[in-house]
Amino acid sequence: MNEPNPNQDEQNKSTEDSECVVLVVDTNKCIGSGMCEMLEETIFLINEDTNLAEVLGGGALAAERAAVVVDRCPASAISVL
Amino acid sequence: MTNPAANTTPVNWASADLHDPETFAAGIPHDTFAQMRAANGLTWTDAAPGDRSGFWSVTRHQELVTVSRDTSTFSSAVGHIQIYDIDEDALDARASMIDLDPPIHTRLRRLVSSAFTPRHVQQYEIAIRQRVRTCVDAFELAGGGDWVQMIAAPIPIGVICDLMGVPEKDHELMVELSDHLVAGTGNETLDPAAYGNTTELRLLPFNSPAAFGMSEYALRLGDERRANPADDLITKLIQADVDGEQLSDEEFANFFRLMIFAGNETTRSSMAHLAMHMVDFADQFDRARQDPSLLPSLTDEVIRYSSPILYFRRTVTTDTMLGGTELHKGDKIVMWYAAANFDESQFPDAQKFVADRPQVPAHVAFGGGGAHFCLGASLARLEVAILIEELVMRNLSLEIGDPLFVPSNFVNGIEHLPVTIIT
Repeated sequence: MNEPNPNQDEQNKSTEDSECVVLVVDTNKCIGSGMCEMLEETIFLINEDTNLAEVLGGGALAAERAAVVVDRCPASAISVL
Repeated sequence: MTNPAANTTPVNWASADLHDPETFAAGIPHDTFAQMRAANGLTWTDAAPGDRSGFWSVTRHQELVTVSRDTSTFSSAVGHIQIYDIDEDALDARASMIDLDPPIHTRLRRLVSSAFTPRHVQQYEIAIRQRVRTCVDAFELAGGGDWVQMIAAPIPIGVICDLMGVPEKDHELMVELSDHLVAGTGNETLDPAAYGNTTELRLLPFNSPAAFGMSEYALRLGDERRANPADDLITKLIQADVDGEQLSDEEFANFFRLMIFAGNETTRSSMAHLAMHMVDFADQFDRARQDPSLLPSLTDEVIRYSSPILYFRRTVTTDTMLGGTELHKGDKIVMWYAAANFDESQFPDAQKFVADRPQVPAHVAFGGGGAHFCLGASLARLEVAILIEELVMRNLSLEIGDPLFVPSNFVNGIEHLPVTIIT
């Protein structure tokens, strides 16, 4: 069963036609909930040693989608650089 | 503690006695909460006899989220996370991550957090579905029964016990101990010697002797895992390294108790309320039967509408303003999740149960975000979603009797709920 991801369609659309922003994780705030990893598995990973989120690659994501990820992080640990 | 009369802003008094479990005896007091949400500023509840001191209530979604996410201004470690204060030594004796602030809170949480990420909990799906099917099969075969005893209690306790590493034969004992913990939040007088307890009740979580029983059980199981490590959370906690140190027996036992209680009581409550939702809002479940893509939003609607935990408290660490009310260091702030989840400004037609309610803004049944956001949120969602799915597929017609609510201002639990399957 998939976790709720009501914005999947919007994501696919917005990746094509909106501008990209760069996301960063504040590891002092991160609680390792893994919400980011679920929403954007190519950009976020819960590190198995630290149990905290880390950004893969450059962390670039379409702005609209980035807003969803920022909003859904329960710890407010993700922000736009 | 503030004398509210000394405030320069007008003070609103809460319109019902929020100390009194009886206020919650018929479920969430929606009318009271609606009046409180409509007030300018926060609302104040006076101290009551005994250890029931005065406190501010947060009932609007926006302010609840603010309090929830600002752990430095609104502390979990000062005073208590229940309305009543407890002594320093009692606070120390029961400390687990839920009543600590970052950074120590977060170091403890990270010991177990990886087991609860959305990605990780997917691997429990098959086992959970098996448990759900076994329970629903038995219920169907019997033609009905006590929904709590047959469905809502055994599923979550089974799931969290599996994760922790508590053997099946002890699951019922965990339910019993957990129930007795909650009894400590009601008006009932508890036998101080129950479960072989030898500790002063004031030192025990919820002032309940069951906390002692659970600690003793945890330590025994911990010893077993020290000798024979397994792939479970008990073993993880026993082997944990926090800043170069192992958890003390007390820290370990407190951790265990928190996990069992939180993993059991809350999801059970949502599953109990679910039966009532299925009868009261049958059309919304019909929609999900025809369109399974509604399952995630329907699951969150069940959890919002249930609001299993009514409140947690914080203590103000520095003078501040919130929602137009002056707060002073030492003031108690109570976040009523069950009130914020029906805030019309965030959830239009909040009293309506809607299968496809948007998931943003998020309900606060798992908390308003921040460091203490429910560790088991993804697991709970998965459990409830599977139960809904299994029930909806069977298309059972249910008839429910009168629910017996847990008399508590802390949990929105249901003790018994007679349900009959109509054929």
